[in-house]
Amino acid sequence: MLNVIGGRGLNSTRLYEELKRNVDPLSPENMLLIGVGPLTGTLLPASAYTTVSGKSPLTGILGDSAAGGFFGAELKLAGYDQIIITGRSEKPCYLLVSNDNVEIRDASHLWGKDIWETTAALRKELGDNAIQIAAIGPAGENLVKFATVACNNSRMFGRTGMGCLLGSKQLKAVVVRGKKRITVADTLRYADLCRKLETDILNHPEYEQRNALGSTLLMKALNGIGILPTRHFQEGVCPYVDEISGETLAERYKVKNKSCFNCNIHCSRYFITPQYEGEGPEYETLCSYTSRLGNSDLEFALKMTTFLNRMGMDSLSSGETIGWAMECAQRGLLTKEDLDGFDFSWGNTETIEKILRMMVYREGIGDAFAEGTRSLARRFGKGTDTYAFHVKGLDMICGDPRGIKAFGLCYAIASRGGDHLRAEPFFELTERYDEAEKRWGIREIADRLAVKGKAVLVEHTERQALISDCLTMCKNIGLSMDLMNVEFASQLLTAGTGLKFTPERVDDVLKRIIERDRLLNIDFGIEPSQDTLPERFRSEPLKEGASKGHIVPVEEMVKEYYKLKGWNERGIPQAKARKRP
Amino acid sequence: MIVVDAAKCSGCSRCEVACSFFHSGKVGRSGARIKIVKMEQIGIDYPVVCQHCVERYCLKCPEHAIEIGPLGQVIISPTLCTACGLCETLCPIGAIELFEDIPYVCDLCGGDPVCVKACTLDAIRYEPENSQTVSLKPFKSKSRHLSPEQKRVRFASAQSEPIREAWLSQRRA
Repeated sequence: MLNVIGGRGLNSTRLYEELKRNVDPLSPENMLLIGVGPLTGTLLPASAYTTVSGKSPLTGILGDSAAGGFFGAELKLAGYDQIIITGRSEKPCYLLVSNDNVEIRDASHLWGKDIWETTAALRKELGDNAIQIAAIGPAGENLVKFATVACNNSRMFGRTGMGCLLGSKQLKAVVVRGKKRITVADTLRYADLCRKLETDILNHPEYEQRNALGSTLLMKALNGIGILPTRHFQEGVCPYVDEISGETLAERYKVKNKSCFNCNIHCSRYFITPQYEGEGPEYETLCSYTSRLGNSDLEFALKMTTFLNRMGMDSLSSGETIGWAMECAQRGLLTKEDLDGFDFSWGNTETIEKILRMMVYREGIGDAFAEGTRSLARRFGKGTDTYAFHVKGLDMICGDPRGIKAFGLCYAIASRGGDHLRAEPFFELTERYDEAEKRWGIREIADRLAVKGKAVLVEHTERQALISDCLTMCKNIGLSMDLMNVEFASQLLTAGTGLKFTPERVDDVLKRIIERDRLLNIDFGIEPSQDTLPERFRSEPLKEGASKGHIVPVEEMVKEYYKLKGWNERGIPQAKARKRP
Repeated sequence: MIVVDAAKCSGCSRCEVACSFFHSGKVGRSGARIKIVKMEQIGIDYPVVCQHCVERYCLKCPEHAIEIGPLGQVIISPTLCTACGLCETLCPIGAIELFEDIPYVCDLCGGDPVCVKACTLDAIRYEPENSQTVSLKPFKSKSRHLSPEQKRVRFASAQSEPIREAWLSQRRA
């Protein structure tokens, strides 16, 4: 598999080569792929992600989502790099993979159960607490378009509706038990490389903070630079940020750190509130259910975290539907009558809670919400689509791009829609001017507000993100902490697999994968006009805070990005005729 | 012995990984002599490892293949062992488990345990003087028909009760 490496690249390459382009995402013909990297489950720290891919029910284009936890390592220990699921079961079922034995079993008794209940029931019925389970909840069963798959109860394959895809196949869960052990080709060399990475992680200037707060550190950090989505991106500064920050969460509710397989950061957390407890939340969920919806009640956000985790529904997309409704209500575009009588004022926790439940079970207006923001706005019309903040149907993440220009470009061009993880150009936030000069000869790349050089940065970090995804490695470490690159990856791959990976070769593979993803999406019908951002971010300057006055000149950035990629002005790779690998 | 402070454990399994790799050059829970029990629904991750128990149940080995080393560690003779599995059955907490006909149990890595070095949260410590202070009698009854994993879960659940109580009184007082 020298041509695809693994994980996301392995999955999307298979889609490119085998998936019929015009299939309905919910039809039996759609493929559901679960892939891990060639080095997953080994000594390599933080390399235990898993990627689930398919044609997205939410966006209709390339869909995939990655999660950490312990599922990926277990799959590897059972002896697999990829699971391919096609067709559809006549009745609810689950897939049991136990080393070399693979069975499809009846799951009628599990249908309707939430993710936590499903996990507990499967462990009990199989008599083994050590099995790893990726399951869907009621949201996936009811084909909510942004339903998630979860492993370890709270590790979410959150984006692009992969839970809906499992639901459409009547597949309640994938259960894995792996009792094998993994060897690498050059053990001593490999151990040295892993030790180096471990040391680099421990010595990283951000280690302490990431260990203490994980991604929730972003609440205060993004507020400080004026890009914390507040009241649905109307403001970038939240006056009550101290009530909802990662620091407050840690002080009041955290009881201990949680971690993915073989990671020494332990960036996740277990929390206990007077009524609820669970693992999480990550920044995106925390922000989605606090400032983005004008809610200052942290305990409520934690309650919603457990609800979404149990039901298996994406916090970003579900949150965006509510944020859209709140802003449309504020502007008088939608009335109470339009919205089943609900009062969508900012921070109305009662409405949020009720509408979420109605989405999961597709009751009343919840049925329309369960189709996602793009579809909702089309249905209601009346100019409400101006406030539907998605790119290519995927709802935007919690980072106002007006103060982080490279991220703006990243959301616009990302192959799964409005998302940061395809390139995570975190470098622009680091103010490492000398390093920017050294790497790219453009100092402004280290300035988040500058536009110059950002296409160069995104073009570069897109590959850095992809190599992390192909190794199914955590992008907090690979990208945000800037510890993974093509050179290091090729050393790891060579020592790990015994195949000869040169940096040039790896880089070429990455370029081809990005090109194929683009071609796949073009086949799925994307237009260059969709490589953009919602209007607010292009034309409405932020009103206050440290990014005041800024917008994203995304059009010119996209053009430069096409050019750097060697794509034509319509964003079509010119190597289209290139022979398939 | 290895002393566990599960309140600090994040469940990362670095101890398992280090243990398996150090002993065999391969990575996998099956090859680890310390195994974490994960109970996501109550937030507990509990590393289970030989407790150097007062009772030393495993010494009833019919082949006399098991002896106690100078550090208090269990030593299994590979030449005498017939892989009958009695030690696995006798251990009340699943700290001995056979994999590919070899019983795996903590050997303290000769006095410098790699799992302790791999843990970055101080959730496991090595206390050389601490041996035979723990009685596993409460876990002996009805343990015979449980798998090692089931015994570990039972042990971890009981041991983590005080942790849960402390958390709840701290956060729900």
